[in-house]
Amino acid sequence: MSVRFILKILGAMIFFFGLSMLAPMIVALLYGDGDFSAIALSAIVTVGFGGALVLIFKKERKEIGIREGFFIVAAGWFLAGLFGGLPYYFAEIFPSFTDCAFESISGLTTTGATVLTSIEDKPHGLLFWRALTHWLGGMGIILLGIAILPLLGVGGMQLFKAEVPGPTADKIKPRVAETAKTLWAVYVLITAAEVVMLMLGGMGWFDAVCHSFATLATGGFSTRNLSIESYNSVYFDFVIAIFMMLAGVNFALHYRMLKGDLKAWWRDAEFRFYLWLMLACIVAVTASLYFTRVYPNLFESFRRAFFQVPTIITTTGFTTADFDKWPSFLRVLLFVLMFVGGMSGSTGGSVKIVRIQLLIKQVLNELYRLVHPRVVMPLRLGRVLVPDNVMRSIWNFFILYLLLFVACSLIMSALGLEFITAITSVAATIGNVGPGLAGVGAHENYAFIPLFGKWILIFCMIVGRLEIYTVIVLLLPGYWRK
Amino acid sequence: MRVRNMIRVLGSLTCFYGLTMLAPLFVSLIYRESDWSAFLSSFLITLFFGLSLYFIAFRATREITNREGFLIVTLAWALAGVFGALPYIFTHTFATVTDALFETISGLTTTGASVMTTIEDKPHGILFWRALTHWIGGMGIILLGLAILPLIGVGGMQLFRAEVPGPSTDKIKPRIADTAKVLWKVYLLLTLAEVVALLFGGMNLFDAVCHSFATIATGGFSTRNLSLESYNSTAIEMIVSFFMILAGINFALHFRFLTRQKKAYADNGELRLYLGLIVGATAVATVVLKTHQLYGDWFNSFRYALFQVSSIITCTGFSSADFDRWPDLLRLILVLLMFVGAMVGSTGGGLKVMRVLVMFKNIYLELYRLIHPKAVIVTRVNKQAIDHTLIHSVLVYITAYVAVFVVATLILTALNVDLISAATGAAATLGGVGPGLAQVGAHGNYAEIPLLGKWVLCFCMYAGRLEIYTIIILLVPAFWRK
Repeated sequence: MSVRFILKILGAMIFFFGLSMLAPMIVALLYGDGDFSAIALSAIVTVGFGGALVLIFKKERKEIGIREGFFIVAAGWFLAGLFGGLPYYFAEIFPSFTDCAFESISGLTTTGATVLTSIEDKPHGLLFWRALTHWLGGMGIILLGIAILPLLGVGGMQLFKAEVPGPTADKIKPRVAETAKTLWAVYVLITAAEVVMLMLGGMGWFDAVCHSFATLATGGFSTRNLSIESYNSVYFDFVIAIFMMLAGVNFALHYRMLKGDLKAWWRDAEFRFYLWLMLACIVAVTASLYFTRVYPNLFESFRRAFFQVPTIITTTGFTTADFDKWPSFLRVLLFVLMFVGGMSGSTGGSVKIVRIQLLIKQVLNELYRLVHPRVVMPLRLGRVLVPDNVMRSIWNFFILYLLLFVACSLIMSALGLEFITAITSVAATIGNVGPGLAGVGAHENYAFIPLFGKWILIFCMIVGRLEIYTVIVLLLPGYWRK
Repeated sequence: MRVRNMIRVLGSLTCFYGLTMLAPLFVSLIYRESDWSAFLSSFLITLFFGLSLYFIAFRATREITNREGFLIVTLAWALAGVFGALPYIFTHTFATVTDALFETISGLTTTGASVMTTIEDKPHGILFWRALTHWIGGMGIILLGLAILPLIGVGGMQLFRAEVPGPSTDKIKPRIADTAKVLWKVYLLLTLAEVVALLFGGMNLFDAVCHSFATIATGGFSTRNLSLESYNSTAIEMIVSFFMILAGINFALHFRFLTRQKKAYADNGELRLYLGLIVGATAVATVVLKTHQLYGDWFNSFRYALFQVSSIITCTGFSSADFDRWPDLLRLILVLLMFVGAMVGSTGGGLKVMRVLVMFKNIYLELYRLIHPKAVIVTRVNKQAIDHTLIHSVLVYITAYVAVFVVATLILTALNVDLISAATGAAATLGGVGPGLAQVGAHGNYAEIPLLGKWVLCFCMYAGRLEIYTIIILLVPAFWRK
């Protein structure tokens, strides 16, 4: 592995990440809440660090292999997370740097798990930075990197491959850099659309932008303690719910749609599954809320269901109700949905719809094969034949995901966390959802978790976001051997 | 499907099942209790029904196909469940027929989940019948059937296959009837050894026999309300622990060992993992119990840890302590052990250690392959190469198992069972363990579960015991098509 070349790439990524801190600096100037200097200092440190790395290793020029790809992806996210924690650190809003790193990595991995105990009293610049980390994380620092890195003369599908093992993202255009720019344009466009819709409903521009950033990235950081519930507005509930659903869709499909291919959504088997699952869950939750009389009438039940279901499935994590107070049945259902996630190629986390869909298909296939042992049944997704080795890595991904979930739950429980809190905190971070149940429920936060536990959850967020393999591979002794 | 053929097999199975009811009949006569008439009428009804079935289809052919195998296995267990409930119904032991069926099914599937609120006040015959259903279920009605059926001319590997999909049991002798007889002898021998050991440990004959039946079958019904806790004897707990661990080992290994193949235990990977898990979990539990000062000194902590760990991992379900009051970490570990289960070819339930082993090996290989894409590697378990299709069906099995668990939990919570009772109740019945946590914990029972919930749990017990597919496959439309 060429360490010097890797350092150059990482340097470039950190440099651009530092530049993005200019945005919250401007916000801080506009509002004059006194957080300007903290953010400016962070920007200088970050840009300086990244710039120095690039300058030192300016002359390095090499191809990157698969092994380097894994390392760059994982190290890139982790470093960005640490530097992203600087503004919080310099503004001294958390007692420890761990909390700053937790908040920043939760933002960049679009998780939305927060250690802030009160939100409204924080300066606007920092709240904007929180939302912006979501937005930057959303399309992926890596995808950003792919759109920008070619300027430095690096071209590599390998990076994309490292971030998306398993079912591959549709290649809209042959070159990765072009793909990234295209998808990014779609991303910006939909974000702008949501800002406009929210402002039309009467939300201030600051809240509208922050919430749109968090929605499109399926993040979940709000500018209010009570999240979207605090507005108590039917209009906002529905607008945000619909944009969450959009953010959970493969952006390549959105692109085709915008290009005029109006049937692009429907032709996609994964999208159909996503939609049916979403509708079925909304109906089930509405019915359950109505019959258990949690909300007085059918409309209120529907309104809460229509928001809480997509927020969990797309792994956003906004809330309009304290679903931890709902009947056990719904709590279990939401917990299970945390393991579903958005479509592949969306900003949603967790296992991803396409994997769940293929797993179900294979289980049914297996049953059919028991009845007719000699039948040969190829597995198809829509009209596409799924090769054996793709199926194998999906299985292994799923099993690995569950194993990590179990292992981390054990550790959290060993740290003294209560049963349900331990389990759901891991499920909610590894799936990049945000809120869990009980101690980390919709009206709670992660501030009370012991220091070591926060680092475990940070590990979960990064591992979950980077589709597990990317990080786990680095932990194998075989990776570091020649 | 040839119905007459199946009726004949079921008829002869029912006859033999009826004959076993003579044993509790003698017990109640010896103790001069009034329930002897209930056993006599149950015996006559069962025998009459079995004989009529047998003679209706007397002229049927003797070959059975795959599909018929699945149906026979399921129906045989269902019939045994119904007839086995007759003694409870005639003696009015339970308030409802559902409860009587639940107790029988729990017995036959060697689960040990009880709906009896008080046990000591029940007549000896009834308590003996409870233990006997364990023992009959233990080696499997099917395995019993395999040892006896050849006498009436039905031979078929298909049956065995239907009961044990996935990693196959070692074929000790080529013909299945012989295999069954051989294993049955080992089973009998172990039971006798335990009876003798318990008598030396200070238990009376009746209790010793009942507990031995329940131990070797990894069942868990006791003759006392407080299970083994009521004896408060270190010697008895150690003896029962030892035999539970033996009952969780593949009986084929015991057989080889008894026929002087000294290395039988030594080179078995599954056994190593099984014992490793017991040692590891016991060690953790001992340390945690000691640090929380629940039982004072190290010895007592070890004593309770060993008993509970071996009871749960082998899916027996005896208890010598109310582990629901243990720290959350230990509760979580015990729940996980419920999913692991014992070895293939033992009487234990759960996923089986073999499957867990295959899963781990496969994950490791997949990661290895990511770093060295061109390497050709083979998974080996017990020195045998495991082929691709087998790995696949193991992973599919695990997923199906988890899916049934999730669905059952959802249904139970929808019936207003609290979250932890619902989840652990489902896990404990699916794995054939018995007690779960909270309401269905070591000191609780299943009596308070709503009626529909009991049926769901009965389904779980059957599905878990018959290795999921055997039952699920009957729900696939393709099964019933020509």
